[in-house]
Amino acid sequence: MTDGQTLGLRDSEIAPASTTPARSYAAQVLRDAASSWGARLGLMWIAMLAFVAVFAPLLANSHPLLLSEHGDISSPMLAYLTPADVTLLVTFCIGLLVMLAPTRARRRLLAIMLTLAIVGGLSVVYITPSPLAIYSDYRIKQQTGAYDWVLRAPVPYSPKDYLRDYGDAGFEAPLEAARRTHWMGTEENGADVLSRMIYASRIALGIGLIATGIAMFIGIVLGGLMGYFSGRVDMIGMRLVEIFEAVPTLFLLLTLVAFFGRSLYLMMVIIGLTGWPGYARYVRAEFLKLRQQEFVQAAIACGLPLRSILFRHMLPNGVGPILVNASFGVAAAILAEAVLSFLGLGLVDDPSWGQMLNQAVQSSTFNWWMAVFPGGAIFLTVFAYNLIGEALRDAIDPHLKKDQPES
Amino acid sequence: MQTYILRRLVLMVPTLFGITVIVFAVMAAAPGGISAQSLIQGQNLEPGAKKAMEDYYNRLYGLDQPVPVQYLRWLNNISPAGFTFDANNEINGFSLNKGSDLGTSFYYNRPVLDLVAERLPITLLLNVLSLPIIYVIAITIGVRAATERGKRFDTTSGVALLGFWSVPTMLTGVLMIAFLASDQYWRWFPTAGINARAALEMPFMPHWSATSDVLMLVSLSIAGAVLMGTLSRKGGKATRAVAFGALGAVLGVLMAGDVARDGLSLLHVLLGAGLGGLFILIGRADYELPRTAVMGLVGFGVGVGFAASFAQGTFVRGFLLDSLWHLVLPVICLSYTSFAFLSKLTRAAVLENLLADYARTARAKGVSESDVLWRHVFRNSLLPLITVSATLLPGLLAGSVIVETIFSIEGMGQLAVEAVKLRDRELVLSVTLVSGLLTLIGYLIADLCYAVADPRISYD
Repeated sequence: MTDGQTLGLRDSEIAPASTTPARSYAAQVLRDAASSWGARLGLMWIAMLAFVAVFAPLLANSHPLLLSEHGDISSPMLAYLTPADVTLLVTFCIGLLVMLAPTRARRRLLAIMLTLAIVGGLSVVYITPSPLAIYSDYRIKQQTGAYDWVLRAPVPYSPKDYLRDYGDAGFEAPLEAARRTHWMGTEENGADVLSRMIYASRIALGIGLIATGIAMFIGIVLGGLMGYFSGRVDMIGMRLVEIFEAVPTLFLLLTLVAFFGRSLYLMMVIIGLTGWPGYARYVRAEFLKLRQQEFVQAAIACGLPLRSILFRHMLPNGVGPILVNASFGVAAAILAEAVLSFLGLGLVDDPSWGQMLNQAVQSSTFNWWMAVFPGGAIFLTVFAYNLIGEALRDAIDPHLKKDQPES
Repeated sequence: MQTYILRRLVLMVPTLFGITVIVFAVMAAAPGGISAQSLIQGQNLEPGAKKAMEDYYNRLYGLDQPVPVQYLRWLNNISPAGFTFDANNEINGFSLNKGSDLGTSFYYNRPVLDLVAERLPITLLLNVLSLPIIYVIAITIGVRAATERGKRFDTTSGVALLGFWSVPTMLTGVLMIAFLASDQYWRWFPTAGINARAALEMPFMPHWSATSDVLMLVSLSIAGAVLMGTLSRKGGKATRAVAFGALGAVLGVLMAGDVARDGLSLLHVLLGAGLGGLFILIGRADYELPRTAVMGLVGFGVGVGFAASFAQGTFVRGFLLDSLWHLVLPVICLSYTSFAFLSKLTRAAVLENLLADYARTARAKGVSESDVLWRHVFRNSLLPLITVSATLLPGLLAGSVIVETIFSIEGMGQLAVEAVKLRDRELVLSVTLVSGLLTLIGYLIADLCYAVADPRISYD
């Protein structure tokens, strides 16, 4: 906390000199990037995905949202919420409040992360949804008229509702059946494709952000140290970077996932662990440039601790290329997860877009909706992140300097 | 120069060492890891036989030894000079020319070297075919975008290529196989492999039983190409659009007829309108060279189609045509994602040189704009493209993993996936070693090409 306060003081000492409030370099880059239409479209798509991911249980659920049985109003949807659902919903609501509060961006981020951690921990401990859900009960009761009225989700199917009660579960083209509507058809076991895609958007977003976060953290720390100390540390660090770059990332990923088993969290960590060399390279290059500048020399002369020099003084001035890379990195992480799932090394139980594509290939007849919709979702998400990355690149570098790997 | 190459080659050794250490550590640290038990898992054996199998594997691969010893043994095996072992796995001497051995695959029970030698050429063939396609298209677009900076072509091509880059290879591959190669829709291309079994007994070149067929094929295809080419070069915008649009509509309806045979359907209308519209757009395009190329190619294709439908005698594809036919879809899948990156780089390089002083001087001397572009600017812009060719290689290798899996091509990519799925230690290590080596050699070759292309650079 004291660090934050001293920093606040220092900023207020510098700022009053000019009449317009000084904007940080990162904020400026973000503003420039957000003014291009490509980045705006990309942001819109990702915002929509985030919305869908957070409100998935309200959008696609076999449990009715609200129902009245002999006058008793109940909500089966609430009773069957999983810890993940609760965490996402609560964090989203508190996040909205925090965003409205007038405070610094860093504190907001901290508050949101804290909420996420606390709510996540609490909900894992205290919320245990009943493991068995017989979805067909609701439909049978509704048909027999046991309910007074029922409020259903817009897509009234859960991702793992295999519609056994209909008997004919299996492939069904979009909008084909008369009795029930599947906007994007069903997969081989009769589950609704749209519902599976909605829940899979969580995996795509989560993998992208967390894997990139891990890769960025390792890359920034190692790259920062390499750039700041140069010399021998740099030499050893660059060999390490070269080693990781010479192993084809996909192959390393394949090996890790094949040998360590399938788990979403492990996949995030692994994709993050293989993605750091690029960040390290960029941060190193930036820091090599920055360390000669007066403000860094001044900070060293003041006797500030290394952590402060590296992360409070140098990093904010070299953040441009990192932002660009992070955006492309998220896209790459989403693709990596999709490729792993597609090759049959991904999740078994939960739907992910890549796994849905894999299903489309495995089935005996080709059903276009099973490939086009999940594949299209991957494409749009990756494209959105790439558009944002492109806009960021234009924002930090009007001349579009080429970035060559050093030889 | 020679000392430089030598130094780089020596520096490869620690990097390769690091790569294999990482992969070996991953395999050893995994739960279950690599042990004789995990190898015979799933085989329904009697206890005695099981024990015998375990002992056999342990003796063969030294799986019962500590992990570092296992790794050192593997290193000793692959290095050309090292210790030799007797039948009981005891060290019995040191030899300088024992030869390197990549080991025997657990699963295939064959020397890994044979497997790699069998698979590597296929992957390299795919990549070698993709590289020129990537370069030609990316350079054409990049140069054009740079000369028309900020205009419509620049912005549209930028966004379109970024879009291409974002389309997952799996999606393209799956859709291509499903629509262009499967029984359900059009059966234009084969679904799997890089040649048909029957093609192995065919002669290399295609041949026809009747000479009249050959004559007809040549004359019709050339006539088609010339006709469309002339139309593209000489015809007005409206003429081109009408002629080309009509051709597109007819082709679209014919194409729909392939799938929906009974009467007119929605598919006929959709495909006719879609292809017609696309062809009208191409016909109206202002860029003469690409337009003529596309129109000429379509004319050529229509000519070939006509000739094929009127042919009397029998026709044998031959090995060459068969292979090309098999390679069309995989190569498209492998190459399209790299356009964006490379054309962006070309654009940036050309732009930088177009604004350079020497380009202005040349213009001031009265050199024509096209000479400035192609004789001065373009040659200087090639340098970054050469350096980048090396960084494309790992991407292409990774791409071949997906492409080879989708198209069932037995190359290195498929071998890699099989190896990790089967937990085949020797194969995993060798595939890592080979792909790491290829990547490093790619970097080295790029650096050398750089020195050759730019006399200002020397590594001495």
